Amino acid sequence: MEAVIEALLNGLVQGLIYVAIAVGLTIIFGTLRLVNFAHGAFYAIGAYVGLVVAQHVGFVPGLIAAPLAVAVFAVLLDRLVLQYFYEKTPTAQILVTFGIALVVEETLRLIFGGTTQQFPTPAALQGAVSLGPIAYPAYRLVFAVGVLIMIGLVWLFLVRTNYGLVVRAGVRDRIMVQLLGGNIRQASTVVFALGAAVAGLVGAAASPIYSIDPSTGFLFLVPSFVVVVVGGLGSFWGAVLGGLLIGELQSLTTLVYAPAANVIIYICMALVLLFRPQGLLGESEVIRQS
Amino acid sequence: MTTAPNAAPEGAAFERRASLVADLRFVLLAALALAAFPFVLHPIGGYAGLATQILITSIAAVAFNLLLGYAGMLSYGQAMFYGGGGYVAAILLLRAMPQHPNLWLAVLGATLVTAIMALLVGAVTVRLYGIYFALLTLAFAQMVFFIVEQAKDWTNGDDGLQSIPNALLPIGPWNVDLTVGLPPVDLGPFGNLGDIKLWYILAAIALIAVLLFTRLLIRSQFGEVLTAIRENEERSVMVGFSAPLYRLAAFGIAGALTGLAGALRACYDGTVAVESLSIERSGQFVVYTVVGGVQTLVSPVVGTALIMYLENVLSGKTPAWRLIEGIIFVAVIVFLPRGVLGTLLNQREKNPRSIFRRALRPRTEEPEPLLRPNVEGRRAGPLSIIETSKLGKLFGHFAANHDIDFQVDPAELRAVIGPNGAGKTTFFNLLAGTIAPTSGTINYKGRDVSRVSGTERVHLGIAKAFQTASLYPDQTVRQNCRLAALARVQGPFALQVLRRSTRLDDVDALAERAMDRLELAAVADVRAGDLSHGDKKRLDIAIALATQPQILLLDEPVAGMSKDEARKTEGLIRRLSTEMTVLVIEHDMEMVMGISDTITVLHQGTVLATGTPAEIRANATVQEAYLGGHTEEEFAGA
Repeated sequence: MEAVIEALLNGLVQGLIYVAIAVGLTIIFGTLRLVNFAHGAFYAIGAYVGLVVAQHVGFVPGLIAAPLAVAVFAVLLDRLVLQYFYEKTPTAQILVTFGIALVVEETLRLIFGGTTQQFPTPAALQGAVSLGPIAYPAYRLVFAVGVLIMIGLVWLFLVRTNYGLVVRAGVRDRIMVQLLGGNIRQASTVVFALGAAVAGLVGAAASPIYSIDPSTGFLFLVPSFVVVVVGGLGSFWGAVLGGLLIGELQSLTTLVYAPAANVIIYICMALVLLFRPQGLLGESEVIRQS
Repeated sequence: MTTAPNAAPEGAAFERRASLVADLRFVLLAALALAAFPFVLHPIGGYAGLATQILITSIAAVAFNLLLGYAGMLSYGQAMFYGGGGYVAAILLLRAMPQHPNLWLAVLGATLVTAIMALLVGAVTVRLYGIYFALLTLAFAQMVFFIVEQAKDWTNGDDGLQSIPNALLPIGPWNVDLTVGLPPVDLGPFGNLGDIKLWYILAAIALIAVLLFTRLLIRSQFGEVLTAIRENEERSVMVGFSAPLYRLAAFGIAGALTGLAGALRACYDGTVAVESLSIERSGQFVVYTVVGGVQTLVSPVVGTALIMYLENVLSGKTPAWRLIEGIIFVAVIVFLPRGVLGTLLNQREKNPRSIFRRALRPRTEEPEPLLRPNVEGRRAGPLSIIETSKLGKLFGHFAANHDIDFQVDPAELRAVIGPNGAGKTTFFNLLAGTIAPTSGTINYKGRDVSRVSGTERVHLGIAKAFQTASLYPDQTVRQNCRLAALARVQGPFALQVLRRSTRLDDVDALAERAMDRLELAAVADVRAGDLSHGDKKRLDIAIALATQPQILLLDEPVAGMSKDEARKTEGLIRRLSTEMTVLVIEHDMEMVMGISDTITVLHQGTVLATGTPAEIRANATVQEAYLGGHTEEEFAGA
C-alpha cells in the first residue's frame, strides 16, 4: 500500500514535469503551428543555468535566472532561425528543431562535460514530510505545488490576457486571427518565450529531483511529445491530462515491472493514435492541419 | 508533326535502349567512384575499414531517402529495421547454423524478416502524417528496442551479440574468405591495395545493387505515382490512386533495404548491440540523408560518407565533433535545403533530361476515341445514373446537408445552384466520396456506394474537378493528365517497381485526348504551377476527364474566369455533356441558364426546387431564397 501511494506521488511529480514541458509545446504549436523538437533543450538549458547560478549565488536566484535566460535564448532562436520555418511543412520544422536540439546538447556537453550532475536540495527543504502511512521528501511536495501554481498562472494568462485571446483564437484559425488584425507576430514571440521559460524554470526546479546531463533535453522531450499527442495537439487541458496520465502510468508500471516503464508510454500513444487520433481532448480539425 | 502509327513502338524500343544505356553508365560510374573511394579516404585520415562501414550504412540512408525524399514520410524509427536486421542475421548465424554459417542465408533472412516487420508497422502508421507519423514510428522503434533488450536469452540484453561468424561467403563450390585483402601493392600516399579486404568489394556490390534498384524504382510507374502522391495527395486519391497502399509499399521496401544494411553491418562488425536500435541511430539516418540531400538518388551516400568521416576523424581530435556535426546539419537545412550534393547537382540535373525525354516520345496527332460515349446508359431511360435518398452530413451539430433526395438522368447536364453556404460543395464531396455521409444513401447505377471510398468511386466512373484547381504544380500539363490516365489504366495500386509507365500506350492516348478536349495541347509541356488561372481550372477538368468518367462533377468550373474564358469553358463543358453525365455547381447564372437541362436549387442544406431553367426562373420560393422576397423583375434586372 505504501509503495502504491509513493508510486502515485512519484508519478505526480514526473507527470507535472511532462505537463510543464507539454503545455509549452502545445501553446507554441497552437499559435505558431511550429512542431518544436528543440523544446527539451529549453529544459536542459534551464537546468544548467539554474545549476551554475545556484552554485555561485543561491538556489532562488537560480530559479529566477533560469527562465529568464531560456526566454532570451528562445527569442533569439525564434528571430534568427525559426521564424523562417513557420510556414514550412511539419517535416522541415521537425528537422530544423531536431538539429538545434543536437547543437544545444553538444554545446552543453562541451561546456559542462558529459557526466551526470546533481543539484543539491536547498537546506530549508531537506528531509521528509509525513503523509499518513508514508514519509515523502519535502522538496518534491513543494515542487509539485509550485508547478501546479505555475500551470494555473499560464492558464490565467491564456484566458485573461489579450495575448491569451490571440493564442486561443490562433489554435482555432490562425489565418482568421491575422485577417482580423490580431498581432499574431508579437503574440507569437511572447508565447514562444513563455513556453520556453516555463520549460526552463521546471528544468531548474526539478534538478534536485532528477539529476541532469546534456542529453536530459531529449530524455524529457520525447515523453512530452507523447503527452501532447495523447492529450491532443494544441489543447491546454489535453497537455495537463496527458502529462498526469503518462507520469502515473510510468510510475505505476515501474512498480509492477520496471523494465516496461519506458515502453508503456509508447504503447499508450500508439493506442490513442489508432483509436482517437486527435488525442483525448483534441479537436479533430487540428490533426488535419499538421 | 504527323507521325506514322507504327512510330510509337519504335519510339518505345528506342527509349528502352536509351534507358538501358543510361543505367549501365550509372553502374559503371558508381563502380569507378567506389573503387577510388578508399584511396581518396586514406590520405585524409580514413582507414579502409571505415570505407566498408560507410558503404554499408549508406544503404540504410538511401532507403531512408526513398521515404523522406520521394514519399515524403519522415520516419523516426528506421533503427528498428536496421538493428532488427542486425539481430536477425546474428541470431541466424549463431543459433540456426552454428556449424555451417552461411552469410547469404543470414542476410536474406534478415531482409525478409524486416520487410515483414515494416509491412506490419506500416499497416498501422501509413495513414498518419508529419509529427504523428514520426512519433508513431519512433514509438514502434522503442517497443522493438525494449523487446530486444528484454529477450536476454536470444539477444544477450544490453551486452549484445559478439563473435558473429563473418569470414566465409560460400560462392558455388568455394568458401570465399572475406577478410582476405587484395594483393599488397604500396600506393604511396594512397595507402596499400592490401588494406582493401574482400568485404569492401561485397559492400560495394551491395550498394551498387541497391542504388540501381532504387534508381529503377523512382523512375518506374510506382515511383511516378509515389512522387505524385507526395506532391498532391488530395488529387492523387481523386484520380483513383490508393495513397495508403503506395505509402505502405514504400515503407516495406525501405524497411527491407534498411534491414539488409543492418544485417551486412552486423556481419561485417562481427557484433551487434542494442545501440543499433536506439532513437539516436534513427536520428543518424535523418542527419546523413538531409546533409547529403533529399530527392537525389546518390546524395544520401555522400551525406553518410561526409558525416561518418567527420565523426571518425574529428572524434580523435576534438570533443566538439558532435557539435560540428549538429551545426552542419542545421546549416544545411537552413541554407541548402537540397543538401550538399543536391545543391551541386541541381543545375546539371534539370534541363538536359527533360529535353531528352520530350524528344523521345512521339506524339500521336489523332487520338483514338477512347472515351466511350455513354450510349447504353442514356437509353436506359427512366433509370437514373446516380440518386440519393435522405442524404445528410453533420459537421458537429451543424447539418451541412440533410434529407437530400436527388436523381440525375444519364443524358443530363445538371446544375446545382444555391446561395453561399447552401451546402453545394458538401453535396458534391458526398457524391465524389471525399467525405462520408452521416445519414442516407447514394445509389450509383443501381448500386449503393454510400460507403465506397472516393478512390474506388473514381474507378466506378465518378470523377471530380475541384473548386480550387487541385493539380501537380511541379509537373507538366501532360504529366498531370498522364497520371490520371495511369490510374484508369493500372487501377488503384500496382507494384510496378521496375517498369516505366511510358510502356503503357493507352495512358498517353487518354492523356492527349483529355488535353485536346479542354484545348490544352498548346500548353502541354508547361509546368502546371505556371499556368494562368483559366488554364489551371481547365487542366483540373482535363485531369478528371483522363480518368474516363461516366459522371463528371464540376465545382464552379468558371469561377474567377474572364467573361471570354468563361464562355469558352462553357462551350467545352457543353460538348463534354454529350458523352457523359455532367453535374456542375456554378454561380454564373448566364451559364447555368444557358447550358443546363435541369437545375437543382439547394438552400440551407437541402433541395429547395428542381426543374428546367424556365421553371426555376419562375419559382417563387427560389426567388425568396436568393433575393429575400424581391420581385421577378428585380431578379431579371439584376
